[in-house]
This record gives sequence, C-alpha cells and structure tokens, in this order.
Amino acid sequence: MAKPKVAICWLGSCGGCDEAVVDINEVLLSVAGAVDIVIWPVALDFKYDSVRGMKDSEIVLSVINGHVRNSEQEEIARLLREKSQIVLAFGTCACFGGTPGLANLTTKEDIFNWVYRDAPTVVNPKGNYPQTRTRVDGKELTLPEFYDRVYALKDIIDVDYYLPGCPPPPYLVMYAVSAVLENKLPPKGSTLAPQRALCDSCKRNKSKPVSLAISEIKRIHEVEASPDTCFLAQGIICLGPATRDGCGEACMNINIPCRGCFGPVEGIADSGAKFVSALASIIDAQSEGDIAKIVDQFMDPAGYLYRFSLPISTLRKKQS
Amino acid sequence: MSEYKPKVVCFSCKFGWGYLTDEATLSSEIENWIPIICTGKIDATHILNAFEEGADGVLILGCPEGDCHYQDGNYEVKKRVYLLRALLESMGIEKGRIKIELATDPEGKRIPKLVKEMSKELIKLGPSRKGVVAEKMTKEAIKARGGK
Repeated sequence: MAKPKVAICWLGSCGGCDEAVVDINEVLLSVAGAVDIVIWPVALDFKYDSVRGMKDSEIVLSVINGHVRNSEQEEIARLLREKSQIVLAFGTCACFGGTPGLANLTTKEDIFNWVYRDAPTVVNPKGNYPQTRTRVDGKELTLPEFYDRVYALKDIIDVDYYLPGCPPPPYLVMYAVSAVLENKLPPKGSTLAPQRALCDSCKRNKSKPVSLAISEIKRIHEVEASPDTCFLAQGIICLGPATRDGCGEACMNINIPCRGCFGPVEGIADSGAKFVSALASIIDAQSEGDIAKIVDQFMDPAGYLYRFSLPISTLRKKQS
Repeated sequence: MSEYKPKVVCFSCKFGWGYLTDEATLSSEIENWIPIICTGKIDATHILNAFEEGADGVLILGCPEGDCHYQDGNYEVKKRVYLLRALLESMGIEKGRIKIELATDPEGKRIPKLVKEMSKELIKLGPSRKGVVAEKMTKEAIKARGGK
C-alpha cells in the first residue's frame, strides 16, 4: 500500500513552526517512515511544480504554517488546498494571523514608505519601490504582490483543523499527527488543543485571592514578579483568563505572563473582547477618575490584547 | 447633504429606564433598543457584536451610581466601557462610538432623546467602517520613530 502523502509548508512564517515539527525529535523518524513527505521547503528539496502535477486531493494532509500577505503565499495556500484532503492551520500565524498581523494597524503605503524612504537607515536616492513587474535588459522580472493587510489562513482557503501556538508544543504536534495517521480526527473545524482557558491548568491559580482586585497595572519589566503568584493578582496583565490552554505554560515557567498565542478559548471568536470584560471586573475602582487612573496605565491595549490575533479580531477582521 | 442616518444600538436597564411605560410603545419610537435586566450583564463581546452587525454607535443606559438592584452591575459596565473605549482608541476608532449614562428615567422619555443626541454626534464621525481600514502614519509619528 502506498504511504499517505503529507505536505509541510510555510507561508508568511519565521520558521519557528517548522522547527516545532523537528522538535518532536525521534518520533519524526517514525512519522517520516509512515508517510511520504511531498513538500517541505524548509527541510527537503521538493519543488512546487511537483505538487502542481499531482491529482486533486492526492495529498492526505497539508500542514500549513504562516499568515498570508502576498500573492505568492495565497497561490501556495490555494494549490495545497486543491491537492489535499485535510488542511491543518499550524501555528498562531496560520490560525489567527500572528504577530505579523499587528501590521494591520498601519497601511501598506506606510509600510513601503517607511522601509524604502523614511527609516533613518534608508539610502534610496532614486526612490525605488518594489514593483510586481520590472523590465531589466529586455527581460521581465516579477515579484509577488504585497497585499493591503495580513490574512489568517481561513480567510483565504477552507481550513479543516487548527493547531495554535507560537510555536505549537511538541506534544500537541504529536497528538495531531497521530490523530491523522490513526484516523481519529475530531469534527471538521476543531482546534486540536484543550478547550479550556489557560488559568484552568495554571499552577499559579491557587495563589489567586478569592476576590481579585487590582488598583494598579504594572508592566512586567517594571517589577520583579513573584514566580509563584497569579500575575493578575500582582497587577501584571496576563491574558490567561481569555486564552486557550495547551501551550505547556512555556511563558509562565520563565515568569512571563501569558500573551495569548493560543488564541481564544472554544466557542469564543474574539479573545480581546473577552479579556476586556475579565480585566474590567477586577479593576478596584468605582469613580470615573479612579477607573481612568488604573486603565490609563494599560499601554497599547490593541497591541497587547491582539498581539497574535489582530487579523481575526471583530473590529479588524476581513471585510465581508 | 447626504442622507446618512447612523445606527445606534441602545441597551438600557429595566430597573432604571422606562419601566413605567409599555415596552412595545416605547420600542416603536426607538430603533435597535434592547432593554435588559442590569447593564452589568453587557459583555464587551455584545458591544463589539453590535459593531460587527453594522452599528455606528452603542449607547448604554444604566442605573444611577449606588442604585444598582444587584449592587454593582452599573459600576461593572462602567469599567468595561472605559476599557473598551481605550481599546477602540488604540485601534484608531473614535471612542465616542460607545457612550454610557448612569441615571434613571422610569417613563423612558429621555431614551429616544439620548439616542437622537448620540445620532447627531455620530453624523460628525461618519459611518463606522466594517473591518476598519488602518490609519495612515502621520509625519509626527514618522519623526517620533526617528524617520525622515
């Protein structure tokens, strides 16, 4: 029997998600023995043309990481969708747009002006900007088109499963791989991670007072945070209450509060809005002045609450 | 002049606003009016959903300070609104699109008036854009980043 074909591919990605696949260590060898990897740009020398030559749905599983911001990324995403039975959005960028999604707070024009004109280190006397088509010595050179905004993978193609994380932890990668190989997948559209919030499994949860109330918002670099106490009880913003569990508390373990890379918990579309409600309820103030004094210490709410998920946020998601 | 008519979604607490008037009668005067039991129940998600569904502004009418039937529901929503307005502003959206008033009006006569007042303010802001377009960087912002 032919081995099932698997594609692992990156779009707008830092490479960390591919690294996460390698992080399953020796298990990768047995996976590589059980499947036929047809493309994995970061690790193996296969060409997109070989994928183009395949029949529709010939690939059993495509693991796609990274966001979509240009026409090349869109083309690859669509190609893999066409040739695959199952598409897994792998990692935070593919699931929600990721940190590059913060670029949606500014325009394409501003990004180009900054990078090719305004930044202090730029020397560009001719005012050259990247063009999708340029003629050089009678030949045409092409570049992918840079889109107006960053998209999550589901905005571009139909996605079957999601595995968030920046990057996803090895145990969830293994769980996802074995679920596919053993045909034990949950219903389409599921996220292959726990459904509860991070606070539910956080070791610091026990240290939380019965009634949480904060009269000051501190930033993590301004204080020496206790390694055992709930960050919110210390007045440090931690997105644990509104973020999906499953990361293995990598940040918590090094005394850094949750930044929300696992995205919203099951059934919630916008984790930022949920966190607003959670944070507001623990602010210990009643008068407008006192509320302002505390909330105004919260720097850059959009950047903090949507560090990983701005492209799918209710206020800034894709226009329908 | 354009015929732009802003959509205002108004949540009001049944304990403080319009409880002496027939809800159906009052409702006919106010478009998108949602009387609820305690404004403390309004989650930030509800407010954002209103925008998602095409609202240009959200008005919340809660009970006077110290007068909440459930002790502190009005304080809770006040904090939520303050934080949400800060979030809106940091996303480049006018914070005036969310307003809260804590008072009481058993007959509810002020509700249509307040909605109208908010509508007028929203006309100045223009329609709220779905999937908001990013703000352009100002010259000051470029300079602040050390740019040319």
